[in-house]
Amino acid sequence: MSSLLVLLAPEIVLFITTCIVMIVGLWPKLEVRSLAMPIAGMGLLIAGVLAINTPANPESILPNIIPYAKAMTAGVGLLLVLLLAGTVDRSYEAAVERGELRFNPIHTNRAEFFAFFLFSLTGLMLCASATDLIWLFLALELVSLPTYVMATISTRKLRSQEAGVKYFFLGALGAAIFLYGFALLYGGTGTTNLIGIRDALAEQAASGGINPIAMAGIILSLIGISFKIAAVPMHFYTADVYQGAAAPVSAMLAFVPKTAGFIAMMGILAAVGWQYAPGGETLAADGVGTLPRSIYVTLAAIAVLTMTVGNVLALLQRSIKRLLAYSSIAHTGYMLVALIAGPSIAAEAGITSNGLGAVLFYLLVYGVTNIGTFAVVACLERPQPDGEADELDDLEDLRGLCRTRPVLGWVMVICALGLLGLPPLLGFWAKFLLFTSAISAGEIALVVILGLNSAIAAFYYLKLVTLPLLEEPEGDAPATTPFASRTFAGVLSAALVLLAIIPTGIVDAAMEAADRAGTIVPANIEAIERSITAEALRDEPTPIIDR
Amino acid sequence: MLHPLTTLASQPNVALDQYLPLAVIIVGAVGFAVANIVLTKIIGPSRRGANKGMSYESGMNPVGTARKRFNVRFYLIAMVFLVFDVEIIFLYPWATTFPNLDPANPDAGIWLFRIFFFLFTTIVAYVYGFRKGVFNFD
Repeated sequence: MSSLLVLLAPEIVLFITTCIVMIVGLWPKLEVRSLAMPIAGMGLLIAGVLAINTPANPESILPNIIPYAKAMTAGVGLLLVLLLAGTVDRSYEAAVERGELRFNPIHTNRAEFFAFFLFSLTGLMLCASATDLIWLFLALELVSLPTYVMATISTRKLRSQEAGVKYFFLGALGAAIFLYGFALLYGGTGTTNLIGIRDALAEQAASGGINPIAMAGIILSLIGISFKIAAVPMHFYTADVYQGAAAPVSAMLAFVPKTAGFIAMMGILAAVGWQYAPGGETLAADGVGTLPRSIYVTLAAIAVLTMTVGNVLALLQRSIKRLLAYSSIAHTGYMLVALIAGPSIAAEAGITSNGLGAVLFYLLVYGVTNIGTFAVVACLERPQPDGEADELDDLEDLRGLCRTRPVLGWVMVICALGLLGLPPLLGFWAKFLLFTSAISAGEIALVVILGLNSAIAAFYYLKLVTLPLLEEPEGDAPATTPFASRTFAGVLSAALVLLAIIPTGIVDAAMEAADRAGTIVPANIEAIERSITAEALRDEPTPIIDR
Repeated sequence: MLHPLTTLASQPNVALDQYLPLAVIIVGAVGFAVANIVLTKIIGPSRRGANKGMSYESGMNPVGTARKRFNVRFYLIAMVFLVFDVEIIFLYPWATTFPNLDPANPDAGIWLFRIFFFLFTTIVAYVYGFRKGVFNFD
């Protein structure tokens, strides 16, 4: 029991930080109230340091994922905290400072905003430690429920309320679908423990095929979770919600629920295993194969549709946030290809053939790079008479940005090229791993579609590059936000994207960590088969040995 | 020929036995509802009048606009109440099992710590409500 407390130490630290932030953010004194953000950052830092030193959990279906996933959560969370500064209560705090209003905690959102942010990250960390379907469900909901509120309170405009309502109702639908899937999975295997499910499914597959109820449960769970990762049948909310929420919150929505969804999908797929014979739902003779056929077909269809729909619709957008929302859908599709490819069975095969490691590394790279592009949107603004500010969200607003606002312009150029996956940048290495892991698993058709889609994506990412870099500015330089930490977050993520060019060893270390995190223990098929054959032999009369 | 049937009948039906408590609950629930209706018909005084005939005799007036406003503080108080409600739900099973724990058990301290941690979260929720001004009626 005490070992569980050690494993959950980052979550506990983050939760206690949440409690402190919740109270401090309501303090009548402005100096104390403003500490909410630094305290949240400190909590994330401590949680990250604790996470790196967490031991592997043999009771988890993904035994090595905890240090990597939690450290990634804390690291990207630190960037997000910098970006979230000044999102809520801006005009209210200004009025209080001018002495027009007396501070009344019931009219502020600061405490809730940062507390909900930390709650969501706590949920993400709990997802990584999940050993049980019920735990996984609660963790996924802890990720999502705060984000609905954050999207709603992020601006004082009607579009945010619309975004929040859409997000909440579609999110509830998604949650209902995967909860139903979890229930069927429990019905089909008789346990909610993920390792128990893994052994039950392997046993079923060895003795003639997976129970159809369990199979239906797995497919429903995957489709329900595809809401969280914004994959195609459940992607309709993405553009509206990302556009309606303030840019810092959109940056968070593109990382936190997506990562939680992918970790949950990995857990469920690891319970099924990648050792099935192609074209069937029985185990492959040599123990090296793919996912069961019905799951494979479902996921491959989702991956292809997600990539294509995301990229094609992104071509049509005029709004930067909508464009980035569709690009986030497309990136989900890319990652699904590596998820289908699965981990390498051969020992010491390395990151280039480990699909789960590739997904985990891609999530980190995508999270960092995406924060840079959203930071530029969060930094440019059009002042409003009421003290709130309108974000500049049109592609035309980027025209000539490298000359008018060089720092923001270059952050946009570097991060857009990073999302595109231009060779020396960080995004290239992430995409490279997706390709190699899918090729080594023999998914050539999916790799070809992935390549074609990357080519389509170049068109709209290059718009984000050429508009600031090559075009002449029109009119005056756009106003920038007074919150310097937002610019700092953008510069930091651009610097991380450039980090891959200099051989510092940090990127290699991250890749190795991702590889280790994505290594799973497959079900002990031989032992299960042996026990089944032994049972079959026991029923038969002892054969007479002929000498 | 009848042998399998007779042996089946002579064996206690284990599967159905397990459902006996469920049957008791169902009978109890239906019986309670029916008994309430029947008993009010028999022993309840039957008075009639304008106020008596209303849907909520002592509650809100069901006639008039449906867009009547409630003070939002009702909901805030209800939520603070929920905090304690949930607390009791979790404390009760803990309180009934904790005394059975062997005092020499090394996990005893962790058991105690966990429930204190849980109580701490409840207190934080209460302090949050207090600072947010839920209890200020002005």
